[in-house]
Amino acid sequence: MKKLRYDTVAFLLIIALLGLANILNFNKPKISQLENRKLKERPKLTLSTLLSGDYFRDYEEYYSDTFILRDWMVKSSRDIRKAMSLGHSGVELIVTHEPGQVQEGSKGNNLTSSNGNSAGSDSVSGNTVSEDQTASGSIAGNAGNNTSDNGSSGTDSGHNGGENSNSGQEEPVKEFDENKNAGYWLVIDGKAVQLFKFNKEGMSYYSEVLNKYREKIGNDVNMYSLIAPTAGEFVKLKKYKGITDSQNDAIDFLRSKLDRSIKSVNVYDALNKHKDEYIYFKTDHHWTALGAYYAYAAFMELKGETPVPLEKYEERKIEGFLGSTYTKTLNKDLEKNPDTIYVYMPFTNYKYEMYYGKECKEAEIIDMSYAKGKDKYLVFLSSGGATWSVIKTDIHNGKKLLVMKDSFGNTLVPFLLPHYEEIYVVDSRFYSKYSAGKNIVEFIKDNGINEILFAHYMEDVNWKEFMEGVEKHLE
Amino acid sequence: MVFSSLFFLCVFLPATLILYFIVKNRNVRNWILILASVFFYAWGEPVWVTVLLFSTFLDYYCALLAEKNRGQRRGKAAVAFAVAANLLILGFFKYWGFVAENINALLGTSIRASEVNMPIGISFYTFQLISYVVDVYRGESKAQKSPFKLLLYISLFPQLVAGPIVRYEDIAWEIDNRTITVKEFNYGVNRFIIGLGKKVIIANTAGEIAGNFLNTDYSRLPVLGAWFGITMFALQIYFDFSGYSDMAIGLGKMFGFTYKENFNYPYISKSATEFWRRWHISLGTFFRDYVYIPLGGNRKHHTRNLLLVWFLTGLWHGASWNFILWGIYFFVLIFIEKKGLLNLLNKLPALISRIYLLLAVLVGWVFFYHTDLGQAFRFLGIMFGINAASWSNGEVYIHFTNNAAFFVIAVVASTPFAKKVYESIRKRLRENLKGMYLLDGVLKSAVNIAILVVSIIFLVGQSYNPFLYFRF
Repeated sequence: MKKLRYDTVAFLLIIALLGLANILNFNKPKISQLENRKLKERPKLTLSTLLSGDYFRDYEEYYSDTFILRDWMVKSSRDIRKAMSLGHSGVELIVTHEPGQVQEGSKGNNLTSSNGNSAGSDSVSGNTVSEDQTASGSIAGNAGNNTSDNGSSGTDSGHNGGENSNSGQEEPVKEFDENKNAGYWLVIDGKAVQLFKFNKEGMSYYSEVLNKYREKIGNDVNMYSLIAPTAGEFVKLKKYKGITDSQNDAIDFLRSKLDRSIKSVNVYDALNKHKDEYIYFKTDHHWTALGAYYAYAAFMELKGETPVPLEKYEERKIEGFLGSTYTKTLNKDLEKNPDTIYVYMPFTNYKYEMYYGKECKEAEIIDMSYAKGKDKYLVFLSSGGATWSVIKTDIHNGKKLLVMKDSFGNTLVPFLLPHYEEIYVVDSRFYSKYSAGKNIVEFIKDNGINEILFAHYMEDVNWKEFMEGVEKHLE
Repeated sequence: MVFSSLFFLCVFLPATLILYFIVKNRNVRNWILILASVFFYAWGEPVWVTVLLFSTFLDYYCALLAEKNRGQRRGKAAVAFAVAANLLILGFFKYWGFVAENINALLGTSIRASEVNMPIGISFYTFQLISYVVDVYRGESKAQKSPFKLLLYISLFPQLVAGPIVRYEDIAWEIDNRTITVKEFNYGVNRFIIGLGKKVIIANTAGEIAGNFLNTDYSRLPVLGAWFGITMFALQIYFDFSGYSDMAIGLGKMFGFTYKENFNYPYISKSATEFWRRWHISLGTFFRDYVYIPLGGNRKHHTRNLLLVWFLTGLWHGASWNFILWGIYFFVLIFIEKKGLLNLLNKLPALISRIYLLLAVLVGWVFFYHTDLGQAFRFLGIMFGINAASWSNGEVYIHFTNNAAFFVIAVVASTPFAKKVYESIRKRLRENLKGMYLLDGVLKSAVNIAILVVSIIFLVGQSYNPFLYFRF
C-alpha cells in the first residue's frame, strides 16, 4: 500500500479547508439568531490576559463560536444525537443549568450540567469555561446577571429595549427572562413543559420577602400573591412517576407561611379547570394570554369583582412563534409545531409611560411591532422592561395598583386596565432605587398606591436569588 | 490546547503538518516540532511553560553527570538531585495546597496554600523526566547529548498533556533516525480519527448522560439511577482517556514516532490485577519499574511495596483523599486476589469473574468521581439501596429508554468485538482482492470519514466537552 488512503486524504482536506475557510471568513457573526445568544467576541490581546491564559481560552471559544457553518452544525448535531437514541421513548428530558451560579457552565445552549470534576475553579477545562459576562442583559438566558447586578445594567438594557421597539429592528432585545438556563424541561407531545423541583428554602424565602413587604408598607395597602405554575403541572405525567413535584402542594405550603393579610390568588384551580385549553405556549415557558386571563379572573373573584368577559376584547393572532424553550432545546418536534400568539386588544383608554431611569417613553400595551422579531412575546406590555412604568386609564375610581412582576405579569397586566385608575408596573430585575430615585416603600407612598399584586412565575418564586432581587428594593 | 478542540484540529494541526512536510531535513523538522510543541503548551500555560523548560534543562545536565559518573557517588547524587527536584516541583504545584489544608485541619494552623493553578500535564512530563534520568543512570539508555532533542522528547505535543507516559528509550532512536512511510501516516490518521470519535462522540455523550445522575440532589436519586449514572461515567472515562491515548499514538505516527499502547480493553478483564494490566498501562509500568521493583518487588516487603504503589497510584490522579482511597481500594482488591481469590476465580466460570471485576471497578469509580467523600459514601449507599429515594423513577425511565441504543453501542465498543469481526472477515477475504479493497479501502475509509465529520459537527454543536485530566 503505497498510496494515501481515501480517509487520510479526506482528513487532510477537511481540516485544512475548514481552517482556511475560517481564516477567509472575515465577516464573523456576533450573534446567533438560532440560539438567541451573543457569540464570543474576538478577545483583545493584553499582557495580563496573555499571561493569565485567558486570551487563549477566549480565543478558542471565539473560534468555535464563529466557526463556519455553525448553525447548520448545531442543528445537525442535534439531529445526529437524536438518531443515536433508537428506541426513543418519545419524550425528552432536558436539564439546564442552575441559575445564578458563578460558572454558567458553558455556552447558551448548554443542555447539561458539566462534570462535577470540572465544575470547580479549574482553568484548563477547555470548552467549559464560563460564558463571557458581557452578554449581560442583552440576550436571553442572562437574567441571572440582570438579577444579580440589577440596578444600572438592568436599566441600560431596558433602555435598549425601548430603542429597539422604535426602530423595529430584527433583533428585539430581550432583557427580561426568567428562563435563566435553569431547570428541568420535558419535551412531550410536541410541547416543552418546565418541571418543578420543590425547594423548601427558596419557597420559604418568598413568603419571608412578602411578609417583609407587609411589615414595611403597613396595613392600609392590600397585598395579593399570584403565582403562575409551570406548564408541567397541567400535562399527564403519570407514566413518569416522581418527575415533577406538586406545585399545588407548594402553593399550599406558601399559604401557610404568608402573613394572613396577604391574600393568595388561587391560580392553580383556575388553570386546572381549563387545562385542555391553550393556556401555555408549546415552545415557550410563558403562559398564553388566555392562561393569564384565567389567572386575572381568579384575582378578580378573590376581590369580589366581576371579571370582564373575554369576548369583549378584540382578538388578534401572531403566527409562527418559536419561543424560549425552543431556543434552549432546538428540539425538532417543537420546531415543527410553532405557537400562535393570541393577543386581546385593550378597549380602555390609557396612557402607558415607561420610565428608563429619568427618561420617559410612551408605549403601547400591545405593541405589534415586536411580532416581527424573534421573541414575539415582547408584544405584551412593549416588553415590560422599563425601570418602572405606569398605566393611567380614564376609569376614575381612585384605585391604584402596583404590580411587582416578572415576564409572566406582562400578559396579565393588560386585563387589569378596566379596573384601575393607575397601574404601576415594577420588574424587580430592572428597578433600582438609583434610577428611580426612591425605594419601593417610598415609591408606594409617593404614588398613593393602595393595592399590591405580586405576580411571578413559580420558578422565580422557587429561586432564592430572584427573590433577593425583590427584597432589596425595600432598602 | 487539547486535541478535541476546533482550533487544534483546523489551525494548529494542519499548519504543523504543512510546515513539517515541506522541509525534508530531519534537524529542521525536529525544530519545527519543538517550536510547535512549546507553542502548543504555552497556549494553555503561558507562564508555566517556563517550568517545563527549566525541568528539562535541569534533567539534561543531571543525566549527563549521571552517565559520566555511573556507579559512583557523584552519579548517584545527580540522579537523586534530579528526582528530588522533579518531585519537589510536582509537589509544590500539585500537592502543596492539599498538604497545607490537611496540616491546618490537623493542627489548627493556618498555613497559606498556594493559589497557583497546577500546570497542565505536569504529572505526565515529570514522570517522563524521572524515567529518563533513572534509565540513563541504570545504563538502560544513553544520555541525550543535545538539550533540545531532550526537550523534543519531553514536550512533543501528542503526549504532552494527557499521556501516555512515554519512555525515552522507546523513541530515542526515532529522534535522529525516523522515517515516515505512507502506510504509517495512514495508520496515524486512522488512529487519530478513532480516538477523536471515542472522545467527542462517545465519551462526551456518556458524560452528559452521567451528569444527569451524578450531578444531582442525591436525596432524589433512585437505585437504578445511581447504577446507570456510574456506568455511564465508567464509559465516559474509558472512552475519554483511551481516546486521548489513541489520538496521541495517531499523531505520534503522523510525525514518525511510535508510542506504546496505553489501553487494552480494560473492561473485559477478569480480575483487578488484570484490569490494571489493561488500564493506563504506561502509568502501571512506571510504578512497577521505578517504585515496586526497586523496593524489592515481591521478594521482600511485598505487602508494603504493593501498598505504597497503590497509594501513589491513587495520589497521582489528584491531590485529594478520594483518589488516595481509590488507590488503596485497588490495593485491597489486588492483595486479596493474590492471597487466593484469583485461584478461586480461575476455577469459576469466566462470567462470574467478569461480573466481579465490573462491580469492583464501578464501585471504584464512585470514589474516583466524588472528591467529597461524604457524597461518595452516600452515592454508594444508594447503589445498594441504603437511603435511596426509590427503586426507579420517571427520569431514569426517560434517560434509559432514550439512551438504550447508545448504551449498547458504547458497551460493545469497549470490547474487542468489532475488531474481532473485522479481522475474521479479513481472514476470509485473504485471497479476494476485490473484497479486500471494498472492506479496507472503501468501507473502512467511509466509516472513518463519517466519524471525523460527526466529531467536527459535535465539536461545534454540542457544548459539553470537558477536559478530565486537569487533576492528574
